[in-house]
Amino acid sequence: MDRRTFLKLAGMGSVAFAAGCNAHPEKHLYTLVRAPEDMVTGEATWYASTCRECPAGCGVLAKNREGRVVKLEGNPLHPVNQGKLCARGHAALQGLYHPDRIHAPLLKEKEAWRKISFDQALTIVQQKAHAAAASGPDRVAMLSEVTGRHLLDLFVSVLAGHRSTGPLIFEPFAYESLKFAHGQLFGRAELPGYHLDQADLIVGFGADFLETWLSPVEYSRKFKMMHAWDNGTKGFFAHVSAYQSLTAANADQWIMCRPGSEALVAMALIAQLLDDGVGRDLPGPFRVALMEASAGYRPAELAEKTGVAADTLRILAQRLQSARRPLVLPTAAASCGTASAAADLAVLMLHAILDPDFGLLDFDQRHRVEIAAPRAQINAFWQRLADRPVDLLLLNRVNPLYALPADLPVQKVLDDARCFTVAFASIMDETAAAADLIIPVQHPLESWDAYESKQAMTATLQPTLGRISPAPNIGDLFLNLLPDDRRPVGDYRHYLTERIARENDIDSPDQWLQLVQNGGRFVAGRSASKPVPRLEAAPVRTLAEVLDRLALPAKDKMVLQVASSLRFYDGRHADRPWLPEIPDPVSQVAWQTLAMVNSQVMAARGWQDGQEIQLATAHGKVVLQAYGHAGVHPELVVVPAGQGHTHMGRYAQGQGVNPVAVLGGQTDAQSGAPDYAAVIDRMDTAGGHAALAILSGSRIQYDRKIALSVPLEKASDRDRLEGLTMNDFPLTLPLPEGYDHSRDIYPPHDHDGYRWGMTVDLDRCIGCSACVAACYAENNLGIVGEARIIEGREMAWMRIERYQDPEDPTRMIFLPMMCQHCDNAPCESVCPVYAPHHSKEGLNNQIYNRCIGTRFCAQNCPYKVRRFNWFDWEWPEPLNLQLNPDVTVRSKGVMEKCSFCIQRIKAAHHQAKNESRDIRDGEVVPACVQSCPTDALIFGNLMDPNSAVRKKIEDPRAYQVMGYLNTKPAVIYLKKVVQKL
Amino acid sequence: MTQTALTYQSIDDTVIDTLAPPDRNYWVVVALLFCGVLMGAVCWLYQIFTGIGVGGQNNPVHWGTYLINFVFWVGIAHSGTLISAILHLFRAGWRNPIARAAETMTVFAVCTAGLYPFIHLGRVWMVYYMLPIPNQRTLWPNFQSPLMFDVVAISTYLTVSSLFWYTGMLPDLAAIRDRATGLRRKVFAIISLGWTGEYEQWRHYTRGYLFFAALATPLVISVHSVVSWDFALGVVPGWHTTIFAPYFVAGAIHSGLAMVLTLMIPLRKIFHYEKIITVRVLESVAKTIVFTGLIVGFAYGTEVFIAWYSHNIVEMETFRWRMFGDYAVEYWIMVVCNTVIPLLFLIKPIRTHIKWLFVISIFVNIGMWYERFVIIIGSVAHDFLPYAWGLYRPTLVEFGIMIGSFCLFFFLFVLFVKHLPSVSMTEMKETLHEGGAHAD
Repeated sequence: MDRRTFLKLAGMGSVAFAAGCNAHPEKHLYTLVRAPEDMVTGEATWYASTCRECPAGCGVLAKNREGRVVKLEGNPLHPVNQGKLCARGHAALQGLYHPDRIHAPLLKEKEAWRKISFDQALTIVQQKAHAAAASGPDRVAMLSEVTGRHLLDLFVSVLAGHRSTGPLIFEPFAYESLKFAHGQLFGRAELPGYHLDQADLIVGFGADFLETWLSPVEYSRKFKMMHAWDNGTKGFFAHVSAYQSLTAANADQWIMCRPGSEALVAMALIAQLLDDGVGRDLPGPFRVALMEASAGYRPAELAEKTGVAADTLRILAQRLQSARRPLVLPTAAASCGTASAAADLAVLMLHAILDPDFGLLDFDQRHRVEIAAPRAQINAFWQRLADRPVDLLLLNRVNPLYALPADLPVQKVLDDARCFTVAFASIMDETAAAADLIIPVQHPLESWDAYESKQAMTATLQPTLGRISPAPNIGDLFLNLLPDDRRPVGDYRHYLTERIARENDIDSPDQWLQLVQNGGRFVAGRSASKPVPRLEAAPVRTLAEVLDRLALPAKDKMVLQVASSLRFYDGRHADRPWLPEIPDPVSQVAWQTLAMVNSQVMAARGWQDGQEIQLATAHGKVVLQAYGHAGVHPELVVVPAGQGHTHMGRYAQGQGVNPVAVLGGQTDAQSGAPDYAAVIDRMDTAGGHAALAILSGSRIQYDRKIALSVPLEKASDRDRLEGLTMNDFPLTLPLPEGYDHSRDIYPPHDHDGYRWGMTVDLDRCIGCSACVAACYAENNLGIVGEARIIEGREMAWMRIERYQDPEDPTRMIFLPMMCQHCDNAPCESVCPVYAPHHSKEGLNNQIYNRCIGTRFCAQNCPYKVRRFNWFDWEWPEPLNLQLNPDVTVRSKGVMEKCSFCIQRIKAAHHQAKNESRDIRDGEVVPACVQSCPTDALIFGNLMDPNSAVRKKIEDPRAYQVMGYLNTKPAVIYLKKVVQKL
Repeated sequence: MTQTALTYQSIDDTVIDTLAPPDRNYWVVVALLFCGVLMGAVCWLYQIFTGIGVGGQNNPVHWGTYLINFVFWVGIAHSGTLISAILHLFRAGWRNPIARAAETMTVFAVCTAGLYPFIHLGRVWMVYYMLPIPNQRTLWPNFQSPLMFDVVAISTYLTVSSLFWYTGMLPDLAAIRDRATGLRRKVFAIISLGWTGEYEQWRHYTRGYLFFAALATPLVISVHSVVSWDFALGVVPGWHTTIFAPYFVAGAIHSGLAMVLTLMIPLRKIFHYEKIITVRVLESVAKTIVFTGLIVGFAYGTEVFIAWYSHNIVEMETFRWRMFGDYAVEYWIMVVCNTVIPLLFLIKPIRTHIKWLFVISIFVNIGMWYERFVIIIGSVAHDFLPYAWGLYRPTLVEFGIMIGSFCLFFFLFVLFVKHLPSVSMTEMKETLHEGGAHAD
């Protein structure tokens, strides 16, 4: 070989080697041949719609990019959520794009599914319905989720057209006991809105209004309006319950009572208040009756029964008396039969004593979920179907087979060959799997519809993206089921438009367009129909009766309580991978279903967190992992609802445990409330210790100045800190003024007009994790799953850290932690290739395609916010359609972290540049800030002395997490303000 | 032969005899080691195609066995240079019989160590970003990063120690050439670079060798100091301390000396080097191990003392947890193997007994591996933010790569001992001349 040949070969070899080792980037770009008129590539179109994930019905804006929805945000015009959105709302997109979504009707033949066309499916339903109607009255039955009025009317007329009644509205959490209480006192079994914001003292008796109760986003916001530290004042929130839900963890004082004894505590307060002479203005008979009824419930006598010290109750009564506008709230969404009925009625009586006008209850803004049938009716429905099968059973987006206890004949009815069951479902859940025909219907984000989140408003739904599924709107299906003579002209959209236009006096397309663009019509006229409370002896007598029926479980028995879940609600959201991936804020465990057991009980039994235990009740047994938590009464085991699906797609199936399996179907005799609690017959170990998918490495913060709180009296005091140690290190801004020659070696950074920063008000943060979900949605974060979380490979850029007070572990503090965008960033100096880069605007940018994966930055980050791509994460089609096109999808081997949503900062820059101006304060809103229901997060330019973020820093509570490291974080925290009863 | 004194002739005979054509057992060993290397390579390929996640690293422990092994092998490398260069400068005659093997160990250990940063990288195919190549994007490596220090330090060290090793071997290569026939003669004629043994050549050679020794000596100190700065320049409690550089250098030499014993004792047995590598030589190594062990022990004590003395609650917790936390077993393995067990060498019968020497050297090797485990894993697993605390455990893939790297090292070493002179004949002859190392 001569020299030339050698050089040629060597050259060719190296070229071939280099070419063969590229990272296979996407080689093709496609453009639309004919783009829709309103579509500008690279610019989002926003469609207003209404979230239908839970009955609360928040307004959403769907961000449509190049024809697909990539993000949901709250609709600022919508009065319920005012621009905010919870984690479940964000995850609606994953229902829309679920890879296991059903796209064609499935007919069950010999235990196997056969795909049929939508026409065939409709024909089958029509034939079955006709045949049923022909064979007699009430031969068609229907169970539906809560729907808007117009759709419900259509259901009613279709059923009526087939000589049947219905549909029955089924919601697992139907607030029977609360409606019962209101029925007793107001004569109307309704669910009014609560003006939490106007109260100065709230005493809750279990209502988990920050999680699932009625309208959590709305109440989170309103709660913080009364409870956040504001110019020296702060409302007080006490919570009486047997276990510490997230809501209870946000109380200033959580008062632990024995399971099921909330009614007794309320009665004790009534007795104490009446003794103290409160309520003298009440009508005589009512007052006398109350005095008689509460006579046996004085705090001292009840201490034993409720487990609440008499003194605590007396102090609480004192506070209720001295409060300007006290508000008492009822029990949790997942009710406990008679105990809840008694408690809700007792709480309403307590309310009557404190405020006979019920000024904080709003019967105009009633919650739509009030149309749900009480559980007793649901039970009767299934019993009737079991005894006398109908010919056709229609199920609209309900999952009774999962949500109802096994002693109800649901399975029997669905298995009955005489009854043809049609499930309108978009995913193969338990009930759909047991049906005879599944007809997939449009997701609410694809549909034209309307929903009355509150009774006095009209909120509209519109398709927010092009069709990704041929599934029809359920309204259109039902229009086709109407007899020909009664079928209105056009499709469901016309039907809807016409009805809404008529009701709202809309006479021009412009007005209609405006209504749809706003997401509805929200100016609610006050109705004159505020109910007058019947302050008479009769409701008190009912209360006495219910209290008589109330039997507290024996003290030597443990009780299992199923709680509604912040992430899964009743289980309908278990298939959205973001939700199980985000840990439960109280336990910090992802993906798994836990039995929350009192820590001392755990210790007494010698159990560690993660111990597999078996809980056996009269109705069955479950095996799950125990987790010790001081916020659970020693006689109680709490299991959150929502997991343990046997069907429901790849993310839910076989994940966790369904605690409803060990509940009984009995309901309270008067209120019809289901009992989400059961007496545990046996609780023992079932196997060994299984690894927990827990994100938290420690419950306490070892005095490290991480999540700080300050007593109310001292919240305005300004500390003068000038030292160099952990305890006296001053707040050092990531600006030139934060430079101190005695502390710093390197000169300060020059910033170019902007220095982005954030404040996190710990007094406002409730730990709801909406910000985390928003971050997952905005920034294309990988879903890693249970096994990888156990390995410690979570990818969340933002997390809610939970710390317990070492003195009192039931006092918790939640700390949102994300990249601190330090001015002295330890990550920047150690990277050999400048992948973490300090921008001119103070951002700590991570340059993905520069990163080679040494992971030194993550090692050196004191806040441990950097996340490494251990693998290539998967977005099974069509989940990938949700990916934000403005954000890179990172490949394996690179580091990533919170970018302060740099894509949004850049967008604001472009906008400002086009308009030849500076970016305005509040113009850049990162996804987490946008989503926060309590406005705990504020983002802005630290260099602008008038910016909101800069003003917030002036608060004496401002500090930096582990400031003594002198990293000069741009995320500045404000201490939580704590107070005691 | 055992009773006769060494002569030029017997040295040549003994050493060149080792290069006789190997028997089948030798090739079986070579083949087995090669399979081990292949297995490691397959594990690495699997990792490249699947992601670093096949290892056990996680949040918060982003560095695992790859960097443990990196530091371990760099440490092993050090005592080779110590023996061949520093002790040469100090004219410690006892180092001559083992200098060649120790220097070889250095070169192969640096090679093995040098693989680990590549294995460790998330995107090894982008590793050239670390090279200061002018490019149109005007991107440049960050020379503030300790990892860039590493690149410079390790590559310098590999270059210098390879040259030093090769230079020292030249007269020996010529000696083999002179006795060889056929192909071997041709090969050795090339690699001995025309050595004739003239006076001028010897003059240049001894000068050159001395200069290399002088050049390599600061590297012994600097390279492992630089490696220690990978940690000491981080803010992590347990890393961020000024003691790290001397502590690491002492540890490196400690582990390297132990590895010298581990290698020399079988070598001595197999190649009948008893006359050359005498018990006195091994005893001297053992004495040095006692010394380095005491330094390392002092460093352990200092770290704990300073953590307490600082009143810094983060430091205090880190060291409390090291001693009594999740990795307490690893910590105490480290303390006992590195500082307590080597003290047995204070007893003369033990330090002159071959089996004891061998067993204790293995313990020190294990202890030094665990020292790196305790430092690298144990510090970040339990650093500033309690919420982020977590544990790490190596996976099978990591063990595969680790075994592969050990196989690679021994594969190279086994090839070396049968193909190149494993004892420096030249220096042995010098020793004879100077009377520095008499056979017992």
